[in-house]
Amino acid sequence: MASSANSNPVPKLYRSVIDDVINEVRELFLDEGVDEQVLMELRTLWENKLMQSKAVEGFHTEEQQALQAQQQQAQQVQQSQQQAQHPVILPPQQQAPQQQVIVQDQKIIQAVNATGMRFQPRGPQSMCDSPFVFVHQPATERSAAATAATLALPTGVGPYQQLITSQGQILQVVRAANGAQYIIQPQQQMVLQQQVLPQMQQGGVQAPVIQQVLAPLQGGIPQQTGVIIQPQQIVLAGNKVQQNAQVMQTATMQTATMQTATMQTQPGQVAAQLQVQAQPQPQQPQQQQAAQQQPVQQQPPMMLQVDGAGDTSSEEDEEEEDEYDEDEDEDKDKDGGEDGQVEEEPLNSGDDVSDEEDQELFDTENVVVCQYDKIHRSKNKWKFTLKDGIMNLNGRDYVFSKAIGDAEW
Amino acid sequence: MAYQLYRNTTLGNSLQESLDELIQTQQITPQLALQVLLQFDKAINTALANRVRNRVNFRGSLNTYRFCDNVWTFVLNDVEFREVTDLVKVDKVKIVACDGKNTGSNAPE
Repeated sequence: MASSANSNPVPKLYRSVIDDVINEVRELFLDEGVDEQVLMELRTLWENKLMQSKAVEGFHTEEQQALQAQQQQAQQVQQSQQQAQHPVILPPQQQAPQQQVIVQDQKIIQAVNATGMRFQPRGPQSMCDSPFVFVHQPATERSAAATAATLALPTGVGPYQQLITSQGQILQVVRAANGAQYIIQPQQQMVLQQQVLPQMQQGGVQAPVIQQVLAPLQGGIPQQTGVIIQPQQIVLAGNKVQQNAQVMQTATMQTATMQTATMQTQPGQVAAQLQVQAQPQPQQPQQQQAAQQQPVQQQPPMMLQVDGAGDTSSEEDEEEEDEYDEDEDEDKDKDGGEDGQVEEEPLNSGDDVSDEEDQELFDTENVVVCQYDKIHRSKNKWKFTLKDGIMNLNGRDYVFSKAIGDAEW
Repeated sequence: MAYQLYRNTTLGNSLQESLDELIQTQQITPQLALQVLLQFDKAINTALANRVRNRVNFRGSLNTYRFCDNVWTFVLNDVEFREVTDLVKVDKVKIVACDGKNTGSNAPE
């Protein structure tokens, strides 16, 4: 027991600090008329947080292990309960920022995996504001779109199930060949609809349908925005709908594009892009995003031009970019379409020296907090003489009374 | 007054979080929490000065340095921290150092 204390002075030090503080503060608490119990609660909270941080080794040893075991069990129970409840609870947040999508989607996936598709499809009456009703509104225009999309998507793919959340939003869960489960986002289905329908069936009727379905969707899907795109690729690859040969190609191109786009951008941008694209030019859906990466982009008349007039980076700037891009078209062709890359990617982002961004994402920022005795520099050689420091390195805490270091700038 | 430097440590942050929780449940006043933190500053400064007796060496490359308001802030890359017992390597570390000359603020209790 003594050996452990000698090898790692941190827990002992922390305990002594806690004791000192609590004892000193007791008077203050009593002066304020605060109960001793609150003081004990403060101490307990403090110690618990220290244990949870795992920054200190062997802080409470046995107590720590016991408490951690209990907490972990409790957390697991809570998590499993929450997951089951999430798909029901999530939808009401219709205006939640799109950045929450990923987290919520994961929870949905976990819920799906955990609960085994327990969701019960609710009738049309229970759908609050969700416009995206596939199958449940038979006698409306949407049925054609729904049927078309339903036909387009899942045939030829393995087990295919439909999740219907409390809002009636239908998540199509596809179990692909590789065993992974994917959830097809309605928004992406929407885009597919655009592609599918004009070619498949009467174009005149479908276009307004798409617009209708799209418009309310934009605000209506908080948690499903362009996160999982891979399933579409898989779905379409396996899709054997013959009448959609062209559609398949374009859709596959699109999904490839979208996949790349998603990987390179944030879901919010993709979703915004989908939505924005839907608005201005719903009637030219065929190669919305495929055009971004394909040389097709340079065939203006037939295809949807995504840049230039159709640039989705900002609606307000569209007009300005019209004039601007016309002059740049020639340059773009010469440059080989450098600037005409995927739109979501900022121009020349590869030139950025963004060291800090990646490092900021780390969980642990290694920090040393101390006092300096001497800081010396010779040309670019620095010498540090430090004292009384607390370090947090790789998640663990260390202390020192003196530290000496060298570095070259 | 002792340096408030150590509030942004595991120990200090957990204390601040705990105090915030008590404030939210209105079990203590913010004023009292502040007093607790001031007491913590004293305690940690004293403890580090008196109860810790070990040395650490480190070596790395200096990425940035800043000296402002008598506080040095360094960012080092690829650093090795060496103690007698063990060695710790990190890709990046930030060092924040206040003036260690005894200005009379660290009055031992």
